[in-house]
Amino acid sequence: MQNIRKIMAILAGKLLIVLSRMAGNQGTNFPGRLALKIYPPLLKELGKNTYKDTFIITGTNGKTTTTNMIARIFRENGSSFIHNQAGANMLPGITTAFIQQTDFTGRKTFDYALLETDEANVPLLIAQIKPRLILITNFFRDQLDRYGELDTTIKLIKEAVQGTDIELLLNADDPLQVDFQNQKGLKYWYYGFDASNYDSFTGAESREGRYCVLCGHELEYTRYHYAQLGKYHCRHCNNQNPQPNFIAAELLMDPSIHLQIDKLLIESPYQGFYNAYNILAAVSLGKLAGIQEKVIQKAIANFQPSAGRMENFLIRGKKVILVLVKNPTGLNQSLAMLAQDSAAKNLFIALNDNAADGRDISWIWDADIEVITDDKARIRRVICSGQRSGDMAVRIKYSGFGIENIIIKPSLEEGIGIAISMESEVSYILCTYTTLFASRNILARMQKKYPAPLQEKERTPEKAL
Amino acid sequence: MEKFIIAHMYPALMNLYGDRGNLVCLKKRMEWYGLNCEIKSIHLDEKLDFSQIDMIFMGGGSDREQGLVYHDLLKKTDQLMAQIESGLPALCICGAYQLLGSYYKSHEGTVMDGLGFFPLYTEGREGRLIGNILIESEFNGQKVSVVGFENHGGRTYFSDPKLQSLGQVIIGHGNNGEDQSEGMRFKNLIGTYLHGPLLPKNPTLADFFVYAMADRKGLKLEKVLDDTIENLAHEQVRYKMISGQKS
Repeated sequence: MQNIRKIMAILAGKLLIVLSRMAGNQGTNFPGRLALKIYPPLLKELGKNTYKDTFIITGTNGKTTTTNMIARIFRENGSSFIHNQAGANMLPGITTAFIQQTDFTGRKTFDYALLETDEANVPLLIAQIKPRLILITNFFRDQLDRYGELDTTIKLIKEAVQGTDIELLLNADDPLQVDFQNQKGLKYWYYGFDASNYDSFTGAESREGRYCVLCGHELEYTRYHYAQLGKYHCRHCNNQNPQPNFIAAELLMDPSIHLQIDKLLIESPYQGFYNAYNILAAVSLGKLAGIQEKVIQKAIANFQPSAGRMENFLIRGKKVILVLVKNPTGLNQSLAMLAQDSAAKNLFIALNDNAADGRDISWIWDADIEVITDDKARIRRVICSGQRSGDMAVRIKYSGFGIENIIIKPSLEEGIGIAISMESEVSYILCTYTTLFASRNILARMQKKYPAPLQEKERTPEKAL
Repeated sequence: MEKFIIAHMYPALMNLYGDRGNLVCLKKRMEWYGLNCEIKSIHLDEKLDFSQIDMIFMGGGSDREQGLVYHDLLKKTDQLMAQIESGLPALCICGAYQLLGSYYKSHEGTVMDGLGFFPLYTEGREGRLIGNILIESEFNGQKVSVVGFENHGGRTYFSDPKLQSLGQVIIGHGNNGEDQSEGMRFKNLIGTYLHGPLLPKNPTLADFFVYAMADRKGLKLEKVLDDTIENLAHEQVRYKMISGQKS
């Protein structure tokens, strides 16, 4: 009888996945939710079909990119694995991923399960599926977390792994992750960055005071890689960065990323320091999973940015880079990344205030927009678009950027058109969530309609897109 | 050049929802008017002579943080209130606005004392009042539309009806969602629930503070700033609210 319910749940889930795909939806959460109603232990049982390792990837930023990079490593290795899609990282979405890839009896086995989930969801997920290891990218407090929710979440994760043999792969440069090592009986690994030419020595204006998680005193930094990630120490209790097991050195961003992880040379078409961290985390996990270095190297080199997490287009011979921005930290990272690109550029920023973007757009004032006024960033124009293009333009104006180079076009199509047609070597298209897919469609259409000159095609590996 | 100092009270504790944008706005506008402005961060236990500064700004924080700030401010109340009486420009947003009243009672029933500067009190209820807000206010005899974003659980009531509100709610909730009032005004002090941040897309309000600061130093501002972008942003969200209400 139990078995029949299980098969029914899988069948219903598979059917719903097909139906919602036909209806044009991603079909990510609902099938899993219904299947769990029909047969509550479904996720627990399907989770046992992984005969090597289950990995959980969590953290505030970068978990989707990191998970996708690891997936690429496993694919390159010829391994079979379960992988939940971005945006489906709660239990129903994860259940959907298992239903989709299992067979009708729910017995098909896989080498690995690669589960991306929100920090707050980790304890719930562990209760269903016991992983070998949890990878944490970073813990960022943003404006939505001034009420100590992050502290609670970290505590819950610590409690959930207490007394288990679950391993942790942690960011040595993140002061919020340091107190996991005080936990008894836990196996933990650390990854971190060596000094780099891209470090800064002062905190940005809006950067919050970073306090020692052990004693509450203010931390001192000798260098910042970005945001609160860097080399820190606490004068009061001598807390400092743990010694990493995986060290990234020789970072070069030209603007694509080159680095060395314990003598292993890694190159990636991604840009920006935050992506260098994603690469370091993915490579560290690949090594812990026992994947050969050559395979890891090849997987990262061939892994192209996807849908909005920095996707490249070539339109009228001009490189156009699409980036999703969701919060001040993400916007800071994107701006820091484009400031490192030495090409002259037009910057397009689309700001909407639908529910998925956040109705409150005041977060743009928590970002350090001021970096765009640096001459070295070589920003020619800023085109503000979307439902709240006016607010964005005001923010740009008060960063000190000249108003003669601020253009307001609420229509995405017109705004993107201007960003590409006006003189510059490259155009950056920054989008909040609900402007992303529309902007992407516009760019894809333009790329098709206005094919690029030949000599430009050769230096962009994305031409097959 | 005359130097102006704006005290940013407790930036590490009271800084929610982009409120620091108000300071970015004031500093830039003063620069454009040809005035030199310094933002001075004031932390807990720091001594501050209110007669030596030109304006104070304080944003909102969580209950715990508001408690810390309350105890620190309590040591400074006499001098601060005297300065406010003599026209010190002050902008108090959300939690800082609530602190100006006699008490804040959370919806669980805990009562936190306020500074008692003005006859108002706040009671927390379940269900936060969240969304874009449009109010009508009056500056220099002119009706002025003010836009912002509110996000508060507390409902603020005036215990003395003679207390002046910042404006009348056209769309949104305001002080309490009942009597159409939003915020309060007293001389050059404004208390309000409006985030957004408030000043950048309400340049009339930003200039209310700039002019008040200049006036107290006996300076006359000749220059007129180009507020095309600010006004466009203002109209964009105002139009969104008005058309959203009709549909």
